[in-house]
Amino acid sequence: MQSNKLINAVNSTTTLLSVRNLFKKYQTKVGDTVDALTDIHLDLMDGEFVSVLGPSGCGKTTLLKILAGIVQHSSGEVMFKGQAIADSKNVMGVVFQSPVLLPWLTVLDNVLLPLRVLGMDRNQYLASAISLIELVGLHGFENKYPNELSGGMQQRVSIVRALIHDPGILLMDEPFGALDSLTRERMNSELQKIWLIKKKTIFFITHSISEAVFLSDRVIVMSARPGKIIEEIRIDFPRPRHIDLTSTQEFGAIAKHLRGCLGSYESGHE
Amino acid sequence: MKIFFQKFIQSFPFILSICIGIMIWHYSIIFFDMPSYVLPKPGLVWIALYDGLSQDPFARSSFWFHLSDTLNATLMGFVIGGLVGLVGAAMMAESKMIETALLPYVVGLQSLPKVAIAPLLVIWFGYGIESKVAMAFVLTLFPVLINSLSGFRSFPRERIELMISLKATRWNTFRLIKFPSAMPMVFSGLNIGIVYAMLGTLVSEFSGGQKGMGVIMMQMQAVSDTAGVFASMAILGFTGYVLISLMRQLQKYLVFWMEEAEQGLGV
Repeated sequence: MQSNKLINAVNSTTTLLSVRNLFKKYQTKVGDTVDALTDIHLDLMDGEFVSVLGPSGCGKTTLLKILAGIVQHSSGEVMFKGQAIADSKNVMGVVFQSPVLLPWLTVLDNVLLPLRVLGMDRNQYLASAISLIELVGLHGFENKYPNELSGGMQQRVSIVRALIHDPGILLMDEPFGALDSLTRERMNSELQKIWLIKKKTIFFITHSISEAVFLSDRVIVMSARPGKIIEEIRIDFPRPRHIDLTSTQEFGAIAKHLRGCLGSYESGHE
Repeated sequence: MKIFFQKFIQSFPFILSICIGIMIWHYSIIFFDMPSYVLPKPGLVWIALYDGLSQDPFARSSFWFHLSDTLNATLMGFVIGGLVGLVGAAMMAESKMIETALLPYVVGLQSLPKVAIAPLLVIWFGYGIESKVAMAFVLTLFPVLINSLSGFRSFPRERIELMISLKATRWNTFRLIKFPSAMPMVFSGLNIGIVYAMLGTLVSEFSGGQKGMGVIMMQMQAVSDTAGVFASMAILGFTGYVLISLMRQLQKYLVFWMEEAEQGLGV
């Protein structure tokens, strides 16, 4: 147990991503301003698994898209290794809510797609692609097409695709939301396995309290719109965590606390 | 062998209906005492068909001679019209400036009965194959352009977001996402286009020309050779069927990731 904690602690003193005073405002058609995100402060340490919990519409997907460079923030700064993300050459690994695989490419070609875009040598990463595909349990499916795979399998492919170019951070937007709860539990264990082996920094958005607590080092809770961070807690359960952990009393207590944070916002308390 | 036999049994109702149809055709002519210039007997049509097809392919009296000319013009007009339509649509999809400059013309000319310009094309290009290709080109261009444009705009948003997150160049996004995503709609346009290309060629041939299926149909009409006209129609119908089938095969091969029904191929 102790040695597992040490594996995770090795790089956790380097700040990989830092978000300061982040605001995101939208203009509506009638000219009003809608605040999507308000004054977000956030740090991601190297090798950390951080989850973001929040009700629907609280802006967590917007936050992820800002970190991914898909959406521009209105004000504030987002720095990756000290450089503004717009300027840095860094490319994140992104896993969306749906797999977004290209149906005319095989699993392997889908996985290698980021390399084509980034101009990286396919042959150099081929072995790594194949071993990652095997790591997620899809050995033998390299030459299949996405429409031959189930939803859970497709999502696993998209996770591998997000890792192929060895990004600094893996951004995941409710990746398991569309799956049934049995598959979801299995995928949580898979993800933990990948994270322990690859030691990636993961920024994970979810609706599910138990998923957040099970997977993370830290859980951040956001309020409903305008999105603010209202709570941040550390999860210190040792790794690797077994799914039975979710039935323990300590787990339940943390989940209850988080549910309270979310609930107090729904009923309008400050 | 077994598959052929099975297909034969399956199409038996169809074959039966053809036989019954021909019999009704034959006997109504006799019963209603129809002159052969209005409706020739099936036998006469068959003779005209056999006659025209069994000639030396290079002789002016052969169907092959004229069909090859019609086909040439059709395919040339289709390929040129298809390429221009596809490239034009790609440019309009990628450049707002080009789109605002050209779209009014496209929309405006779309509702114009373009076959009305056939005589004009003959004046400009003469009676040779050029005016036929020009007509086929014009008729192919619009469906291909409009459908392709629609296709280039109809990509799932998340695919583009994936590209943005990878900091992809515009060209890469077009090549890897927009172009393949547009394929089903591009083929919708091409399927319409091939039919219109043949139509355009025929209309141009009706306006005048030295050879082509349309030309000999006009000549047969002039001498009331109705059996010949029917035979020509049969050949054109069959040719059209072959062209469409080829397009569908190409589509199935290139757009292999979608079921035919999903692509709107219908029947």
